[in-house]
Amino acid sequence: MIDRRLIENIDWVLIVLLVLNCLLGVVMIYSASHYVPGNYHWRQLIFLGASLIALFIVLLVDYQILMTFSFYLYGAVVAVLMLMLLFSRFISKGSWIKLGIFQAQPSELAKIVIILVLARLFAEYKRSHVSAGAAATSSLLVGLPFVLVALQPDLGTAISFLPLLLGSLILAGLRRKAVIGMLLLAFLAGIAGWNFYLKDYQKQRLATVVFPSRDPQGAGYHILQSKIAIGSGGFLGKGFAKGSQSQLKFLPARHTDFVFSVIGEELGFVGVVGVFLLYGLFLWRLFGTAGKSRDRAGVYITFMVSLMFAFQLLVNVAMVIGIFPIVGIPLPLLSYGGSSLLANCLGVGLVLNVKMRRFANI
Amino acid sequence: MEKNRIYEDLSIILRRVQGVSAVIGAGLLLLIFFFWKVQVLDHKKYWALAEANRTRESVIGAPRGLITDRNEIILAENSASFKASIIRENCQDYDRSLGEVGQLLGIPIEDLKSRIAKFESLPLFRPITVKDNLDLKDVSRIESRRLELPELIVETDPRRYYPFGSLAAHVIGYMQELTEQELKSDAYPERNLGDMVGRTGVEREYESLLVGVDGWRLEIVDSQGRSRGETSRSEPAPGRDIKLSLDFDLQQRATQLLEGREGAIIVLDPRTGEVLALASFPTYDPNKFITRFSPQEWMELINREDHPLENRAIRGLYSPGSLFKLTTALGALNAGLISEQTSFFCPGSANFYGRSFNCWQRGGHGTLSLTDAIRYSCNVYFYNVGRRMGIDRISHYAKLLAIGQRTGIDLPGEKEGLVPSQEWSRNTRKSDWYPGETISVSIGQGPLVVTPLQIAVHTALIANRGHGIVPHLLEPSVSGQGQPPATAANSRAAEEIGVKVFDTVIRGMWKSVNEGGTGRGAKVDGFEVCGKTGSTQLIGRERAQRLGKVIKTHSWFTGFAPRDNPQVAVTVLVEFGGMGGATAAPLARELFSLFKEKHD
Repeated sequence: MIDRRLIENIDWVLIVLLVLNCLLGVVMIYSASHYVPGNYHWRQLIFLGASLIALFIVLLVDYQILMTFSFYLYGAVVAVLMLMLLFSRFISKGSWIKLGIFQAQPSELAKIVIILVLARLFAEYKRSHVSAGAAATSSLLVGLPFVLVALQPDLGTAISFLPLLLGSLILAGLRRKAVIGMLLLAFLAGIAGWNFYLKDYQKQRLATVVFPSRDPQGAGYHILQSKIAIGSGGFLGKGFAKGSQSQLKFLPARHTDFVFSVIGEELGFVGVVGVFLLYGLFLWRLFGTAGKSRDRAGVYITFMVSLMFAFQLLVNVAMVIGIFPIVGIPLPLLSYGGSSLLANCLGVGLVLNVKMRRFANI
Repeated sequence: MEKNRIYEDLSIILRRVQGVSAVIGAGLLLLIFFFWKVQVLDHKKYWALAEANRTRESVIGAPRGLITDRNEIILAENSASFKASIIRENCQDYDRSLGEVGQLLGIPIEDLKSRIAKFESLPLFRPITVKDNLDLKDVSRIESRRLELPELIVETDPRRYYPFGSLAAHVIGYMQELTEQELKSDAYPERNLGDMVGRTGVEREYESLLVGVDGWRLEIVDSQGRSRGETSRSEPAPGRDIKLSLDFDLQQRATQLLEGREGAIIVLDPRTGEVLALASFPTYDPNKFITRFSPQEWMELINREDHPLENRAIRGLYSPGSLFKLTTALGALNAGLISEQTSFFCPGSANFYGRSFNCWQRGGHGTLSLTDAIRYSCNVYFYNVGRRMGIDRISHYAKLLAIGQRTGIDLPGEKEGLVPSQEWSRNTRKSDWYPGETISVSIGQGPLVVTPLQIAVHTALIANRGHGIVPHLLEPSVSGQGQPPATAANSRAAEEIGVKVFDTVIRGMWKSVNEGGTGRGAKVDGFEVCGKTGSTQLIGRERAQRLGKVIKTHSWFTGFAPRDNPQVAVTVLVEFGGMGGATAAPLARELFSLFKEKHD
């Protein structure tokens, strides 16, 4: 199944960039949590090892075969999400499902499955513009898990499904009419969501993006503390494991959603730009793979995986610096979290898979 | 699709990929710009906010100076006390939390809220004291619920403590928390909300000596407000100890003697003006002010009819009654209006200006010379002397002899009293002085009012044969503790009145005590006490009979001993005590005798 030529075509540069980003994450997780019990940095390192193994396993199977099975995978994930909602009292807690001593977030893996399903859907789609039927089908495919995850409730993960849909539609070719229609739909959904779905604390979070200092002890607290952490870091930062905002626990969720604030505080603007460069190289390499794809499905997979990373990076970083509401989207590769790391590595695995099989077989 | 191509043409969708990735690249650049703004342009602002987060400045209270008696028996000290404080920021649910804290400490939730509202301007994470003087049960109850109620903490604090409670309360005074208005004024630049300040007595008079300089401590705190260690501190400078001239034993005896009565006792050293005892009754426990009154207790205390907070020795105004006969006698002798041999006949009453004036001895004293008139405190004799003098001469000598003016003691709030004169009548009463009033004033009645301390100083002046003193509580001997008010002897009386005149009157005072006079109750064997009694009529005898009530007189005694080298002067006033000889003189005797015992 795997011959030498395939191994030769593995993009080791991308893997190195991936591992470098993950190791940077481990280091920052150590800084942000070494003074509390939990050994999060060791756990993250173990997750990284396991995820890399999973990544190489994904390389063994041709992505075309994976796409063939994608509907079964999709069905399985949707079934799990439904079971979690129905029997939430017994098997799950929010977005977490209990698996013996482990806990996992199936919603993270749902991203990968959605990517495969959408790629499958648009693999043979050769028109210059997307049809209403295809748009509706893809919207339904994403909409179902979106609703299931949003109801968990895990709005952050649910929202990160949307760029996959939007990305695939853009590639398939959106007409201006459709763009306007979607904006209108999003607007209506926003109003409906504000009135029926969002909890009060979530509304407050949205409101405090605009006025973070209005309520410094309430909903604006996290945004304000994060901005203080980043701003007080200055140009060169306070030094590794020396950030007072982080070490004295003024920062919320230091090793997960707000790990970038720790970078800003302890490594300063220089560190921020450095991390942006490292991450930028990684994204550039990912996006670049699209051009190396053998077929249309490969382009879709590569593009959607890249978009998944880019979207979460932008939203997370905008969130910690206070220009986007706090929606609970972690920083891929750097934030602590096994399920998310696994999903992200599987995503990179798909891209590597596409790239190593870029030459037509016979 | 062209035949010769293995791969399909993906250029359209690849162009779309490029478009989207360009947008993402632009987004990343935009974010870098935001970080530049927050981290570089606004760095100072956020740095300051982070510093304010991580550091907490707290005050280390400086212990207040001790107050001791002349033998260094401690009258006011500092004891460690526990207080319960709330850190507002640690409350999960403000209302529920206050409810639980109120229940735990037994404070109504409204009181708790109003107390916290008072401190609204404090910086974050500053504890607000809600209950002082916790007992150990309270402390253990709070400690046992530490995890449930992280907002409630126990702090220790030096607290003023008066080991003898109400003893000398009017001298020492009491302390109260500074009000917000006072803190905003410039009078207390170094003080903080919650600090106590002396309100009366020595605590107020010598506030600037007693108060120390608070220290401070800069700590690192985490987001829960828990201390993570100190970065710097400045030790508090304790206040200066002060030593009072009070003699514990005399003070204690004076207080015991007044127990159950209303009145005042002053014991002082006529040579120096050192106050050895100053008691006023009823009294109060100044410790109560430290532990805070409940509003109800406070209203009760200030509305009590017998005014326990008033220091009667310096703020009570009383007619001097027969004590004033000394002034009348000294003035008339000095002016040459009478001599030691001048006699008057006392039939029990006398007519002046068409009105009858009684002697206290119904049957009359018969014919008396000056010294016997003092000895028996004959009214008729002094009516006659007073008539010869006239009000303005009486007024002149009264002032010369320290009556009707502030003594200058180092206590706040001293009253002046009043010595009437024709001028005073015209200016203040807007009416002419009636000659009949002069007859009343000559035996210490009428508009004339004095404080007990004035009488004590007046007595010391007589004992010193005209050399006045300024009474004071602070011992001047201890260097560096500050100076009491000027003790420069005031010898105006000695310049104007000869020693012989004083000796004559003092002979009368000696007789009063030692030869069966009205002051005989004050006699101490082997200690030549010279004194004078007084009984102040509050209403006329006829009127009292008409009302069918026995209204007791205020009872006075003042005197000094020994006769020739005076060492101690004692003044006793008992409100509604009856005759001076019956009530006040025996009390004075106790003090003379205790003084003698201590100095033999």
